[in-house]
Amino acid sequence: MRLNCTVNGEARQADDVWAGESLLYVLRERLGLPGSKNACEQGECGSCTVYMDGTPVCACLVAAGQAEGRDVVTVEGIADGPVQQAFLAAGAVQCGFCTPGLVVAVHDLLARDSAPTDPEIREALAGNLCRCTGYEKILDAVRLAVQR
Amino acid sequence: MTTVEAGVAGGVGTSPKRPDGGLKVRGEFAFSSDLWADDMLWGATLRSPHPHARIRGIDITAAVALPGVYAVLTHEDVPGAKRYGLEIVDQPVLAMGEVKYQGEPVAVVAADHPETARRAAARIVVDYEVLPAVTEASLGVLLRHVPIRTGDPDATADVVVTGEYQVGMQDQAFLGPESGLAVPAEDGGVDLYIATQWLHVDQKQVADCLGLPAEKVRLTLAGVGGAFGAREDLSMQVHASLLALHTGRPVKMVYGREESFFGHVHRHPATMWYEHGATRDGKLVYVKAKIVLDGGAYASSSTAVAANAATLGIGPYEVPNVVMDASVYYTNNPPCGAMRGFGAVQACFAYESQMDKLASALGLDPVEVRLRNAMTTGSRMPTGQIVEGPAPVADLLIRVRSAPPAPEGSGDLREMPGGVSNTTHGEGVVRGIGYGIGIKNVAFSEGFDDYATARVRLELIGGEPAVLVHTAAAEVGQGLVTVQAQIARTELGVERVTVATADTSVGSAGSSSASRQTYMTGGAVRAACQAVRAALLARVGGARLDGGKVLSDSGAVIADLASVIGDGPIEETVEWRHRPTYPLDPVTGQGNAHVQYAFAAHRATVDVDVELGLVRVVEIVTAQDVGKAVNPLAVEGQIHGGTAQGLGLALMEEIQMVDGIVRNPSFTDYLIPTILDMPPMKVDVLEMADPHSPYGLRGVGEPPTISSTPAVVAAVRAATGKALTRVPVRPEHIVG
Amino acid sequence: MKTFNYLRATDVDVALQRIAVEPGARFLGGGTNLVDLMREGIEAPETLIDITRLPLDGIEELPDGGLRIGALVRNSDLAAHPVVRGRYPFLSQAILLGATGQIRNMATVGGNLLQRTRCLYFYDEASACNKREPGAGCAAREGFNRGNAVLGTSDACVATHPSDMAVALAAIDAVVEVRSSRGTRHIPLTEFHLLPGTTPHLESQLESDELITAVELPPLPVAAHSYYRKVRDRASYAFALVSVAAALDFGADGRIADVRLALGGVATKPWRARTAEQLLLGAAASEDSFATAAAAELAAAVPLPGNAFKIDLACRTVVAVLRRLTTERSGS
Repeated sequence: MRLNCTVNGEARQADDVWAGESLLYVLRERLGLPGSKNACEQGECGSCTVYMDGTPVCACLVAAGQAEGRDVVTVEGIADGPVQQAFLAAGAVQCGFCTPGLVVAVHDLLARDSAPTDPEIREALAGNLCRCTGYEKILDAVRLAVQR
Repeated sequence: MTTVEAGVAGGVGTSPKRPDGGLKVRGEFAFSSDLWADDMLWGATLRSPHPHARIRGIDITAAVALPGVYAVLTHEDVPGAKRYGLEIVDQPVLAMGEVKYQGEPVAVVAADHPETARRAAARIVVDYEVLPAVTEASLGVLLRHVPIRTGDPDATADVVVTGEYQVGMQDQAFLGPESGLAVPAEDGGVDLYIATQWLHVDQKQVADCLGLPAEKVRLTLAGVGGAFGAREDLSMQVHASLLALHTGRPVKMVYGREESFFGHVHRHPATMWYEHGATRDGKLVYVKAKIVLDGGAYASSSTAVAANAATLGIGPYEVPNVVMDASVYYTNNPPCGAMRGFGAVQACFAYESQMDKLASALGLDPVEVRLRNAMTTGSRMPTGQIVEGPAPVADLLIRVRSAPPAPEGSGDLREMPGGVSNTTHGEGVVRGIGYGIGIKNVAFSEGFDDYATARVRLELIGGEPAVLVHTAAAEVGQGLVTVQAQIARTELGVERVTVATADTSVGSAGSSSASRQTYMTGGAVRAACQAVRAALLARVGGARLDGGKVLSDSGAVIADLASVIGDGPIEETVEWRHRPTYPLDPVTGQGNAHVQYAFAAHRATVDVDVELGLVRVVEIVTAQDVGKAVNPLAVEGQIHGGTAQGLGLALMEEIQMVDGIVRNPSFTDYLIPTILDMPPMKVDVLEMADPHSPYGLRGVGEPPTISSTPAVVAAVRAATGKALTRVPVRPEHIVG
Repeated sequence: MKTFNYLRATDVDVALQRIAVEPGARFLGGGTNLVDLMREGIEAPETLIDITRLPLDGIEELPDGGLRIGALVRNSDLAAHPVVRGRYPFLSQAILLGATGQIRNMATVGGNLLQRTRCLYFYDEASACNKREPGAGCAAREGFNRGNAVLGTSDACVATHPSDMAVALAAIDAVVEVRSSRGTRHIPLTEFHLLPGTTPHLESQLESDELITAVELPPLPVAAHSYYRKVRDRASYAFALVSVAAALDFGADGRIADVRLALGGVATKPWRARTAEQLLLGAAASEDSFATAAAAELAAAVPLPGNAFKIDLACRTVVAVLRRLTTERSGS
């Protein structure tokens, strides 16, 4: 199938997309956007979190056809801003595999709530696994981004 | 020690931003699963569904016939050594006539789409004759027995406590899947881009299996999405190379999560019997212990894990009489090998549980009984080795005990056990506090020739001094690339430092494991910088560098650094070793086997809903001596991450094996801590310099994984009164 | 994953005609379960009809005080709806305790009802499973069955129904509206899911050519005093070992005037605890009556070697939730 959607503000097209491919696969392997990650491809880790029509979803569970005409924003499409800077400054990036999904999730959280409490931050990020940091500096990063 | 003035930003002891951080936050960092080559094919692996079976035949016809398939290979297509292995070369590249664990690779396929490759693999017909599987370690073939005997084996004591403890099979669960790209080269060799922990050991095994000289097998480190021990053994390296050489095209392989659970080794499950004897004053008289580790189907690094469990198995305590037997067995369970902590984790759960049991039997405070037996500088290990340098065991315990208590609940439901779902106002919720302290060796032991290589080049770029650091050391997330640059800045007084991509064109850096890399690769970088500095100074007869100038003995400025570098870059390559270690006596286990010890203590505070068995860890405090915090922010990150993995083992992580079959190979059913499971963590970092290591540093990564598990379990015991002799602890163990 | 055709529906009637004639066709909603099952090779439809563009995503208050929920309403939107939060709080809680924010943003109400079990043997194609392959046997009975069911099981199947939302809907007596080209029917939620019996491959009353179009909630004053409690192995992002949806109202005499109780994590379908309800109605709100009612409901439980603990845990959870509702009402 041919897939047409908006990705990071640009109209994009992918040809010869097999119906069984996920949006994640299309982004990574066909549209040159490998920023979203494939830690589990089962919706169990959040590393593939992208915006679809303004809502964070797991791209690994979106069948390619379902992305037709949708507005997709990936980590590559989120302008370098307080969230990314805070992650760097707070030491919240170790291996970095969870980072793209978290950047999207944190970006979404702060767009909905500019001053989340710690319990609210934890609830909002419960869908993103990290194996390196124990989440402590990720929390630091979110608090830092809130301040900035 | 450092001989260059501070004044250059971003040196040792600071926390500069990671050089790869910008790429990572923008999603531009190339992990091994993000690689791409024109004309690339995708590889897939066919794996055994049986824990033990004879292979009577493999029919690849249907697979080969599928359009888009370019290669279907079995063991017959392995041109060189048919087996590989870290310590014992026992693991087939592709199964030959027999499979010994569920998930053992049998064949590999290359195709033009990953789905095609998967379908082709599914079409391979393997005629299996299922054989009985050995799934109990005690019924398996012995791989290694490590005995330790010191003092009087018949010593008696007034107070004796015994216990049997079990640690389930934990998984490293790194997020970045096993993956990489193999590109066939014009010289008949292969260029391999992969995520790994040790490029050169991979290179050797790949070269041997391909029947190629090492120069024709060139490895470059691609971005690594976490390791924690699971990337020490080969996964797809030989497979992808075989497919690439066979098809003449680049081949990419990426494991899915389910496959990943079969694609790497796990932590050894352990059953341990301990007997502690002490005086009525709480002084340990003897410890007798038997540790049985299930090594699974192939050796991996089991022999070293067993030695660790044995030598570190009584904990950071002075015990005059020790009878220790740690054994690892082959079974038809999946192979077990390195995971952060490497044998010390399992033993620590047992000996710390025992120390609490002893405290209880003596009517003593659990920290007090530990303090009365705490190791210190000059203490003697059960192997006879004297602990040199700082060993602040008592200090660490006192620090975690005297940290302010965790705050009482705020009443926010989200802070209750079970989170938002909690229906109590605190009734039925009991708080408990528990302690743990552990000991870990740093770097490789038992006489292993442990070294790291660093190439450092000082030159002018755009008229300004710049340093290039090149090692083969694997950055796996820990921040090694940052630390290498920091060391170069401190040693040469130059701020512009680039750390080159790790590859095999420079000598081995050894493994990114055993908490050794800052010590070893850091030591090599430092030594190479010192050699560069010496050569630089020799050019003009200078005595030292300071603030970008070369100075004489008396402090007079001889020349500008830039002018001394001039047209001639200075480059030095150094192979750097730590002090030798020695084998253990095979009967008594005596020997100076380790080069450095590291200690960490934890205090865990939990709230337990005792009615439903739900545990919420409220806070974990860690005190750890790191010798010298080369990068304080990264040190904290390692302590946080290690503690999280220890909490996971305590409360939720286990590979469920049933008759040799893995029942939960997914993140749905293998649960690692989410942000809602992790508590706030407070870290107290001590810097008590080791006289023998670069900058006095001590390895950081593993100690926090070791004592965190027993501290959490001890806290749950304190809250519930349950014995809890097995980890992970589940709700039914608390209410049952 | 098998090759399949992908079609997109823009009209309900056309979609209903299509599903009736396309061989091996299935509707695709949020995809959070079906896409995963297809990738695992457990589901292999020949055609997927994507229904996410159909106009079935509204939530409207009904004149009688109930609520009509379009089948394509996303889980997160349903949980956040003020009427749900105000009048049926345990439904909102149940949804929010399931999965993660990302998944809840994708999953539809209809899809949530139709989600399939997480039984480890259902997911393992190498294992005997009567649900996947009628007559093949049930490997879970002898295997690692810690997560399997103790209520509503049969010799043929012990698979747990994994939904949280459906447990609350069962307590509410929600009604499922389904349509086909043959007409519309309304099925009580408590009858929508089928017990496995001898036919575990049949999981609901939904015919292969039917589409869930809405779920209707009757007005239910007692639901305003309700809780959903989920007991699981980690604080988030995990299926229930045991879950309880409960609502309680008291009369002037302090006795229980109205009660709804449903269980999750322990049964082969969302489990309306009618035995317990009958014992609780008119009883004093005491630990004793709670425990007695819970024990009576679980009396029919058939444990497996790995999941016997669920019986006691379910009783404890029921008591804990009822106690909480009582304490709240009495303000003590």
